[in-house]
Amino acid sequence: MSHIHICVEHLNFSYEKKQPVLQDISLFAGEQESVGIIVANGVGKSTLLKLLVGLNLNFEGSIRVEDIPLEKQTLPKIRERMGYVFQDADSQLFMPNVYEDVAFAPRNYGLPEEEVERRTEAALAAVHIEYLREKPIYKLSGGEKKMVSIATILSMTPDIILMDEPSVALDPKNRRNLIRLLNEFSHLKIIASHDLDFIWDTCQRTVLMAEGKIIRDGKTEDILRDGELLEAYGLELPLSLYEKR
Amino acid sequence: MHMADALVVPAVAATMYACSAAAGGYSVRRVRLENEPKKIPVMGVMGAFVFAAQMINFTIPGTGSSGHLCGGMLLSALLGPYAGFLTMIGVLLIQCLLFADGGLLALGCNIWNMAFYGCFIGALCIWKPMMKRGVSKGKIIGASILGCVITLQLGAFSVVLETWASDITELPIRTFIAAMQPIHLAIGLVEGLITAAVLCFVQEARPELLWGVAEEKKEGRFSFKHTLAVLGVLTVLIGGGLSLFASANPDGLEWSMEKVAGTAELEASGSVYEKAAGIQEATALLPDYGFKNSGSMAGTSFSGIVGALVVVFVCVGCCYLFKFFKKNRKHE
Amino acid sequence: MSKINQAIYEIRSLDTLANENRWVNRLHPLVKLWVTILYIGITVSFPKYNLSGLLVMAVYPVILFVVGEISFKDSVRRLWLVLPLVCVVGIFNPLFDKDTVAYFGSLAVSGGVISMITLMLKGIFTVLAGYLLIASTTIEKICYALRLLHLPKLFVTQILLIYRYLSVLLAEANRMTQAYALRAPGQKGVHFKVWGSLAGQLLLRSMDRAEELYESMCLRGYQGEFYYGSRIKLRAADMGYLSAWTAAFLVLRFFPVIDVIGRIFVG
Repeated sequence: MSHIHICVEHLNFSYEKKQPVLQDISLFAGEQESVGIIVANGVGKSTLLKLLVGLNLNFEGSIRVEDIPLEKQTLPKIRERMGYVFQDADSQLFMPNVYEDVAFAPRNYGLPEEEVERRTEAALAAVHIEYLREKPIYKLSGGEKKMVSIATILSMTPDIILMDEPSVALDPKNRRNLIRLLNEFSHLKIIASHDLDFIWDTCQRTVLMAEGKIIRDGKTEDILRDGELLEAYGLELPLSLYEKR
Repeated sequence: MHMADALVVPAVAATMYACSAAAGGYSVRRVRLENEPKKIPVMGVMGAFVFAAQMINFTIPGTGSSGHLCGGMLLSALLGPYAGFLTMIGVLLIQCLLFADGGLLALGCNIWNMAFYGCFIGALCIWKPMMKRGVSKGKIIGASILGCVITLQLGAFSVVLETWASDITELPIRTFIAAMQPIHLAIGLVEGLITAAVLCFVQEARPELLWGVAEEKKEGRFSFKHTLAVLGVLTVLIGGGLSLFASANPDGLEWSMEKVAGTAELEASGSVYEKAAGIQEATALLPDYGFKNSGSMAGTSFSGIVGALVVVFVCVGCCYLFKFFKKNRKHE
Repeated sequence: MSKINQAIYEIRSLDTLANENRWVNRLHPLVKLWVTILYIGITVSFPKYNLSGLLVMAVYPVILFVVGEISFKDSVRRLWLVLPLVCVVGIFNPLFDKDTVAYFGSLAVSGGVISMITLMLKGIFTVLAGYLLIASTTIEKICYALRLLHLPKLFVTQILLIYRYLSVLLAEANRMTQAYALRAPGQKGVHFKVWGSLAGQLLLRSMDRAEELYESMCLRGYQGEFYYGSRIKLRAADMGYLSAWTAAFLVLRFFPVIDVIGRIFVG
């Protein structure tokens, strides 16, 4: 077994005592996997992702990232290995311009300025946006902001990438761009989305959740082609599969 | 209102910079002591919020004009006085740079006139004591209006003092005060009402966001009507008192200023006093103002009339608000 | 509501100006900040009857506009914003101060008129100086200069964050008020019944955003300290610019240059 993996066992979580948001979630994902998380009626997917990066520690069960248990003391270590792309890029990008924003994380980890620059350049190159380097954030388009958000986490050279609704508010061209880009990465990816076509194009494995529980976990091929299963949970076949039905 | 650079001389500007810097330094220390890393992004975003919200026009019922939100009071009710003060400084600096609202040199004055009073007096002397024993809608409205009115009065008065100490205008200080204070009384009321409306909304939706609110004892039961009554009386007292003070008893004002300011500063602006003597005669040009030896205290001054209108307006406004919130409650 | 739109437009156009690559823009921000503040300070320090001395101070804005290739046209709108206030304060001077202090030919001019004019000139000059600074320097660079002056990091970070989220929240406020206006035709502003909920919604959303922003910062290793910005070096040109203007302002303020020049022409 390779060292890059994430392991969730019997995870329970609720914001207020009574209503459980997540119930008994167990999940294992290893190197180079790309896992799509689709959720009927949308409750709990951001919560799950935020739990995985330790933004909320009041959970029951265990979360281990590369064999490090997720606890308050281990947070810096774990966060160094994970990159989380928020749904709203404006919340993620808070520095004045693209370069500063991408350089934020390496600087926080105390790297020398030459290394910061090297990493920043590399991250920009990885998402093919070197030309945006000096641009102020507010002048970016929606698609550019998404790309910059991804660059900001790549500059930490994470092993694992988590994405919350990456395709929201992207036009078709940027969407296609993003799909191509994600398929270039060899990281362990976990993508939560209600855009089933996007999952179809980017993930080999899909986890279907409803009411805080995992309903089905398997190959994307099998789950997203299963019209009956999807319909039972208020979801529909990916549009691209309609004719083939 | 924002002071322009042209209205101050370097000595006054430097003094106010020093005062504001002292308050700012103290605030930085206090915020650091609180040691909440989360406060930094919250301050930044809330600063931007105040900026944006101040650009929304709120129609004042019964008039064609519109009012705006009072930033200092709102920020300190959400972030506390120290963080609120620092955020306001940031807002004022950016306003000054980007929109030429107030100048770079007068920034120290503006910080003092708007941020200091709004955050320190508003939060520490009004908001905190009032919210000590539990929060209620009535108290929020009371504190917001009282806070805005008082801080704006102090701010307007400081504007007058700073301009006067800079020897910029030949306008007699009493006329200046008589013009400024009542206008800012009206502005303060409107800003207070808008701020109160926003804070009440916050209290309903996310009460934990309010600062200085003691552990949630649901409704301190300081009844709403009671608050309104007290508020009404206070407004009348302050409004009436100030306009009388400003318009009918200017000598008293000058006298008290002499006491407060000490002699050193007054000597520095000695020329102002020579001017003032000349102005004394000049005031005769405007006999309608009837400042000198005014026998009848009521009804002669312009500010008195404005004050009266304002009081009427407050009553109408309070009634409207009362109805508005009562209706809301029924809906719940 | 055009006011918000106007503000968004203003921020964008200033930022574009400040990001251009002119020689004024390339000067060290601390140098520009110092020259600007010194200029404003010296300008307002002229006594109120010293019209001639004050007039000479026009050299600074004139030179920067011409040599710095900064458009004068764009700055006019800002003057409109500031001048009314200054005028209201100054307009009474001729009424109260009627002693004649000067003659232009046979025309007697009272002290009040002179002091009114100097006040307005001060208003114009100071606003222009502020504009020249911000049109050639980005907020980030000004913040960098403030940090060189040892202002607390906490404070400077605030300014950067406010500036960053200003355009985001202005756009949001714009959408909200537009949506409101579309459903409330014929209203000039926001009706008092929705005062609380309209601004309150925006406030709660901003709070949520701040929350997410904080999370995003934590995930990228933030622990209460902010690191940013590469250093800007002080070059010889900066020093030259600094000393030239400083000397010029002091000479213009403390030596009767205008009299000397005037005498050459009048004889």
